[in-house]
Amino acid sequence: MGLVKPKRSSLGRATRLARLGAGLTGSYLAYQLQRPFLNDGEKEERRQALGRKNARQIREDLQDLRGPIMKVGQALSMQTHLFDADVVQELAGLQMQAPPMHGSLMRAQFKGALGKYPEEVFASFEPEPFAAASLGQVHRAVTKRGEEVAVKIQYPAIREAIETDFRMLRTAGFAARLAGHLKESVIREAERGIIEETDYRIEARNLRHFATQLAPLPFVRVPKVHDDLSCERVLTMSRARGVRLQEFLQANPPQELRDRIGTGLTRLFFFQLFRVQALHADPHPGNYLLDQDGTIGLVDFGCVKYLKPEIVRCYAQFWSREWTNDSALFAEIIHVIFGPEVSPTEPRVRRCMAEIRSFYDEFHPLDGPSRALDLADSKFMDGLNALAKTLLKNKFLAPDFLFLSRTESGMCNLLHTLQARVATTQIAREWMPPIRKTGG
Amino acid sequence: MSVLIFMKQPANEKKGKAASKGKRNLNKERTKEKILAAALELFREHGLEGTTTKQISRKAGIAEGTLFNYFKTKEDLALFFFQKETNDLIRWYGQSARLHDAPLPEKLFAIIHRQLEYIAPYEEFIGAVFFRSLQPRSKLSPLSLESQELRLKYLRFVSDILAQAEEKKEIPPIGELGAYAVGLFYMGIVTHWLHDPSEGKQKTLALLDRSLNLATNVLKKGGWDW
Repeated sequence: MGLVKPKRSSLGRATRLARLGAGLTGSYLAYQLQRPFLNDGEKEERRQALGRKNARQIREDLQDLRGPIMKVGQALSMQTHLFDADVVQELAGLQMQAPPMHGSLMRAQFKGALGKYPEEVFASFEPEPFAAASLGQVHRAVTKRGEEVAVKIQYPAIREAIETDFRMLRTAGFAARLAGHLKESVIREAERGIIEETDYRIEARNLRHFATQLAPLPFVRVPKVHDDLSCERVLTMSRARGVRLQEFLQANPPQELRDRIGTGLTRLFFFQLFRVQALHADPHPGNYLLDQDGTIGLVDFGCVKYLKPEIVRCYAQFWSREWTNDSALFAEIIHVIFGPEVSPTEPRVRRCMAEIRSFYDEFHPLDGPSRALDLADSKFMDGLNALAKTLLKNKFLAPDFLFLSRTESGMCNLLHTLQARVATTQIAREWMPPIRKTGG
Repeated sequence: MSVLIFMKQPANEKKGKAASKGKRNLNKERTKEKILAAALELFREHGLEGTTTKQISRKAGIAEGTLFNYFKTKEDLALFFFQKETNDLIRWYGQSARLHDAPLPEKLFAIIHRQLEYIAPYEEFIGAVFFRSLQPRSKLSPLSLESQELRLKYLRFVSDILAQAEEKKEIPPIGELGAYAVGLFYMGIVTHWLHDPSEGKQKTLALLDRSLNLATNVLKKGGWDW
């Protein structure tokens, strides 16, 4: 009896999930679990990947992570230090992706949402999508006024499927298992974020907000929403110029242009953080469109994080380092960023903060003449990863902080690939909010 | 299987009709459509059971006695509705050049979605009819003699589409069983559609899409052994 542990195959898990009540349509998760089996080539590839020995345990967990809580998985995938390259690759491949829609379904969805077929409202409309979005797909079109637009169309009933999944995950105790990696509050945050993403009206609002707020940065372009052609499940916006990072690099841009784009991305990050106090929080490189003229187009505002002022203030402290001489400030940082249950006197907290300190001192020094940080230097990335590893290992992960660090490391990855040189400290301090003195 | 015995016989409806007879038929058809339109509107207001033949004839602008010349019962009226629906479907498919080269799951999706769009304005009527068709002696029952012609037409239409997919090796040969399966699947989808509370029947769309994809993939791979 029980001599052989039954093999926990992915299919087995899918079946178990199905038994748990995740029906064919009711579950986004069930779809994600089937996905590797729906395509022959991918299936073999994945099976091979799944066979690799050293990544086994983590993968087991990740299998369960597929689906709506892929956002949580994405959070994990940003933490490249935690896993082997194999696993990171596997994780990166686990981007959330809705089933593709064929022409007939896409047209049905469009008509269901806006009352007319695409060809009735656009001058021209490409029936083949040019990009997959996390919850649907994107088509190129030209409006009757002649403007080039991107039309994002959502897969049917995606919100219902996601809600079912989160309900099921809770009852099935997945949350408890996940807790080994992430706090419940982080999962809640992921759920809130993803449910919000299913309403394109919120994304349209985000787009408008960012277009206004980012106006002081002339090198940033935010798509314009076409309200008359948008609703909850369809979003029409002006098409952004520029190309994705990989394509941009293929043209072998000169160092000067790399630096300019890198500086622009950094300025964009700190301006959002300190002035707008909201972050375009999906650091996926595909969400930045880079142009030869040095401008940056931002796309996909489905996932936007509006930050609490105290979070911004405390994050600024990482850069100002005033907390090193101010115990009250130190306590506040621990409270806000790491969560109320973490005590500032714990030795691990002290160790962790010391690590943060030495990282910032090394790469973003305050004294001396301002100099550019060479992000091509792998020493910096290693340092950043080591720091993130410490934070994650100790589960120092308040949800807001997670979003912030995710975006920051996303940006650093981008700058690293771009091999840009950027005066980070100088830029960070340009818009830094005044530090509240709490005494000491 | 009895029904499919007829399937290979060509339909011979249009043979040898005199011109005058054609005109008379056309007029008859127009009157029937007028009555149907009046009835559907009343059904929406009062429900299938709550509508009287008197109301229908008055709304259609004909004598009550004349009404019975066209439709003996409300079930005959419902059958006429579905005949029109099937004719519309077949005509529409013939004109949808875009679909003719589409993969099988998309074709079937488009066909069933077209049917759902057709019945969408009459949801309550369809619900009542569905309930009635469960009674063995109803003319709407899948087993009734009166509904066989209609059913054959639909089955032939679907089996032609499946045969093309077999020819193109999109699916392995499944023979006549396929058309039955699609017919049953459609009825399942309509049941789901009738009970779907989601906005714009979004869940039914998702079910339709994903089950068709899954079924085709399973067929392609020769069953569940994957």
